[in-house]
Amino acid sequence: MSINFKQIEDKLKTEARKLLEEGKVSIVLAYGKGYDEKKPMPYVVRKTSDIENIVFNEYCTANMARYLVRYPRGTKIAIAVKPADSRAVVQLIQEEKVKREDLIVLGIPVYGMKNFKTGETIDSKTTCGIYNPVLYDILLGEEVHGQPVVSPYDVLVDYEKMDKDGRWTFWKKELDRCIRCYACRKACPMCYCDPCFIDQNKPKWGEKSPESQGNLMYHLTRFHHLAGRCIDCGECSRACPVDIPLYLFHKKVAKECEEMFGQAAGMKIEDKPALVNFRVEDSDKILE
Amino acid sequence: MSRIGVFVCHCGLNIAKTIRVSELAQFASTLPDVVVAKDYKFMCSTPGQEMIAGDIKEHKLDRIIVAACSPLMHEQTFRKVVENAGLNKYLVTIVNIREQVSWVTHDIEEGTSKAKALLNGAVYRARLLAPLTSRFIDVSPDVMVIGGGIAGIQAALELANTGKKVYLVEKNSTIGGHMAQFDKTFPTLDCSACILTPKMDAVLQHKNITLMTYCEVTEVKGYVGNFDITVKQKARYVDHDKCNACLACTEKCPGKGVSEWDEGLVKRKAIYIPFPQAVPQKPVIDRDACTFFIKGKCRLCEKVCEQKAIDFEQQDTFSTVKVGAVIVATGYDLMNTKPLVQYGYGKYPGVYSALEVERLFNSAGPTSGKVTLRDGKEPQAIAILHCIGSRDKNNYEHCSRVCCMYSLKFAHLFKEKTSADVYQFYIDMRAPGKGYEEFYNRIIEEDVKFIRGKGARVAESADEPGRMIVEAEDTLTGKFIKLPVDMVVLSPAMIPRSDSKDIARLFNLSTDKYGFFMERHPKLAPLSTMSEGIFIAGVCQSPKDIPDTVAQANGAAAEALTIVVKDKMELEATTAMVNPASCCACQNCIRVCPYGAPFFNEQKGVSEINEALCKGCGLCASVCPASAIIARHFTNDQVLAEIEGLMEF
Ligand SMILES: Cc1cc2nc3c(=O)[nH]c(=O)nc-3n(C[C@H](O)[C@H](O)[C@H](O)COP(=O)(O)OP(=O)(O)OC[C@H]3O[C@@H](n4cnc5c(N)ncnc54)[C@H](O)[C@@H]3O)c2cc1C
Ligand code: SF4
Ligand code: SF4
Ligand code: SF4
Ligand code: SF4
Ligand code: SF4
Repeated sequence: MSINFKQIEDKLKTEARKLLEEGKVSIVLAYGKGYDEKKPMPYVVRKTSDIENIVFNEYCTANMARYLVRYPRGTKIAIAVKPADSRAVVQLIQEEKVKREDLIVLGIPVYGMKNFKTGETIDSKTTCGIYNPVLYDILLGEEVHGQPVVSPYDVLVDYEKMDKDGRWTFWKKELDRCIRCYACRKACPMCYCDPCFIDQNKPKWGEKSPESQGNLMYHLTRFHHLAGRCIDCGECSRACPVDIPLYLFHKKVAKECEEMFGQAAGMKIEDKPALVNFRVEDSDKILE
Repeated sequence: MSRIGVFVCHCGLNIAKTIRVSELAQFASTLPDVVVAKDYKFMCSTPGQEMIAGDIKEHKLDRIIVAACSPLMHEQTFRKVVENAGLNKYLVTIVNIREQVSWVTHDIEEGTSKAKALLNGAVYRARLLAPLTSRFIDVSPDVMVIGGGIAGIQAALELANTGKKVYLVEKNSTIGGHMAQFDKTFPTLDCSACILTPKMDAVLQHKNITLMTYCEVTEVKGYVGNFDITVKQKARYVDHDKCNACLACTEKCPGKGVSEWDEGLVKRKAIYIPFPQAVPQKPVIDRDACTFFIKGKCRLCEKVCEQKAIDFEQQDTFSTVKVGAVIVATGYDLMNTKPLVQYGYGKYPGVYSALEVERLFNSAGPTSGKVTLRDGKEPQAIAILHCIGSRDKNNYEHCSRVCCMYSLKFAHLFKEKTSADVYQFYIDMRAPGKGYEEFYNRIIEEDVKFIRGKGARVAESADEPGRMIVEAEDTLTGKFIKLPVDMVVLSPAMIPRSDSKDIARLFNLSTDKYGFFMERHPKLAPLSTMSEGIFIAGVCQSPKDIPDTVAQANGAAAEALTIVVKDKMELEATTAMVNPASCCACQNCIRVCPYGAPFFNEQKGVSEINEALCKGCGLCASVCPASAIIARHFTNDQVLAEIEGLMEF
């Protein structure tokens, strides 16, 4: 079985039209035509005449959950989500940023999405590697079965071979290259603070121009802010113009969190965000 | 520009031994904005306090730093000093160079250098401190006591007699606790019921006590002076307002449950009162034993009840009460000795646990006070084994404190009620209470045999079926003993109630390694806890006898009173607030606050903090990704400045 992108696109258009015409939602978050086929854009559909611009192909990697928090609370929104994106929606519901009843989730079972820069398949490498959305109201394709089950943490093998000093050197070197464009933050569905801590002046948490110390401050804090919340969509790493492998850090933290608290981010609406939830049975490992 | 005065305390030699105090004062005088820096032998003494007050006037100081002991000890003292000298009391900073420096090192170089770093940080922070205004809140005048053992009963009566209203919450269907199970009490051997039941009855009659039996606390909100406590009234299936305690129901009931009161030695009915003097003397239905609840048929009790008090539809109900202070007196359990297989408890019918023996002695007990074995025979030889699970590194290291004494009591009662030989197997005899040594001497005279050696094993007798052999080393003679007996009494470790962890969590109490509730200070605040307004009394704090339990209960009542006698209470001004311009509405603050102070303002789309509830713990500020929370007195600027000062070293 392979993914029929065209069919998903058509279904997306049909559902979007129906929802808008019936007045069930005022916005559909989907993908639209971009500069070329490899660069589809995040697309906000507001009226039926926008619908013809909708596309869906293997380059539609953007996580549309990023845009949910932009609209006033209570706005009725339909959102197209791939598996990882659906986890972002779940996480945002857990964090009470959006309400389940305000959303119509258009789930897309999918694999074989590609990085537009390299053409590489991304599945579990930089993404969470699950094939079916964890939450949806309407499914835009058939559920995927029979694909190999790969742990999203397998890509950490080489990284984990490095010792503490090795990792420090690695990240110093990688993060020194950061040009502080904040594309990672903009792409991330969980980075919704306005202003972000690093943009604040009193106190000034870190240097704002790209330089070693400030870069470390920004990224280490951001990694920390995403602990237990990153749903492993990989968008931050793909958005980065200088290709810093941010996903390695996020995945490593996600793995530790999952081991420690027995829950992965954005899997169940009933879960509570791991790091701000106290359970008696929680492991004390975090204190070590 | 601020004008800072730094005062370094020697604390006798406590600090001066491992920190060069004059060098520290000299160093302080070189720091920015420091106008005067001095060291002195005892800063908390009257001359020390006068020196600070004098310097505030003379040098027009507007910030005071005292480098001394923990702020838990003397922060309030020094706040008073600066306040009397006309300064805002939040402008005094304590640098803990005793507990955090001099007591944790022997190295004077290291000590002095760490003290300098801490002081440097404090100066940086002090420059940014702002005056704060305290708030006052109304205090709820009532008190809740949890646990209706002798500790809870005593505390409730004391408080009620001062005119305060008391809610006494007991999870069983009667109050009384373990003391109600005993026949006699050491060292005086007075009858337990005779001294306890009048108190139980006084609780019931007291107009200031609301007795809440068969109840459990399920939620605690608020803070000292204003706790909102939710109590679950477990369904009794008997309407106590209608019941007139005729107990006709308990006669007719065919159901059979295990009598907890008789330590499982006998059965009781499904609708029951635990013992004849129970308070209240009205029955409850044990669902698990009730024929109607099990099989759907019976309702005999309903038929015989003339008052129409039986109500099979009854549900658990919840109510919330407001109190200013709480006394926790949840008592103890005895350790389950079954896992200590060497003693054969649960395997040999002749092995008893101490509380079971208490019931055998009791005239209201299963044998009407006759000491007989499970087969009805009178024992010929009885071994009492001390320290089972206590003073034992593999189980509980602590001494249970009362076992030596009740074992002596048992020996006396065995001698009185049987013609058996009685042997005590002890490690040490501990009799340090008033009249205890005398009691010990009296029992020695009564022809009780004392073997100094811990019982090692209880085995089946090969020669005499049904009898047992107690094995031990007599450490006085060095001989190994094998003693045939037909009754063995174990004195198991006293341990906290199995649900004490839940109570600890509800009231934010710390526990020691065994699970007993921790006092605020082992010597100077033995009844207070780290949670303000919550006090502890009785065995829930540590094993003790009835006299000590009662003394603690009186003390706890007095402590609770110091809170609820006031109309108003001062609250710390160090609360948190949200800067709405930065709040990203993640609601982390709401999730982590242990006091339920932050709430989400749907209208504004940001979180806000209810200052009356905020205790200034700072948790919310630390989890706020957008650094939108200002923790007064510990603002980001102040904390960062302090860190900067520390890092310069
Ligand atoms: C075998 C034996 C013999 C003893 N003999 C003597 C003696 O002769 N003389 C002497 O001075 N001392 C004696 N003691 C010690 C004595 O039992 C204690 O000092 C005394 O009972 C302690 O009283 P308390 O109120 O702290 O605890 P408890 O008697 O245990 O009472 C605690 C009460 O709290 C209730 N409770 C528990 N948890 C909750 C909850 N979560 N919510 C609501 N209620 C709760 C319980 O149901 C109970 O009613 C003896 C001890 C033992 C084990
Ligand atoms: S940190 Fe990166 S991978 Fe994680 S949720 Fe944000 S964008 Fe996705
Ligand atoms: S880095 Fe942190 S503060 Fe900045 S947007 Fe992301 S989560 Fe918010
Ligand atoms: S996207 Fe890349 S370059 Fe831009 S801020 Fe993030 S890590 Fe730095
Ligand atoms: S933690 Fe901070 S950002 Fe989040 S809701 Fe609270 S105040 Fe707002
Ligand atoms: S400082 Fe914050 S977390 Fe602590 S009590 Fe106040 S509101 Fe709650």
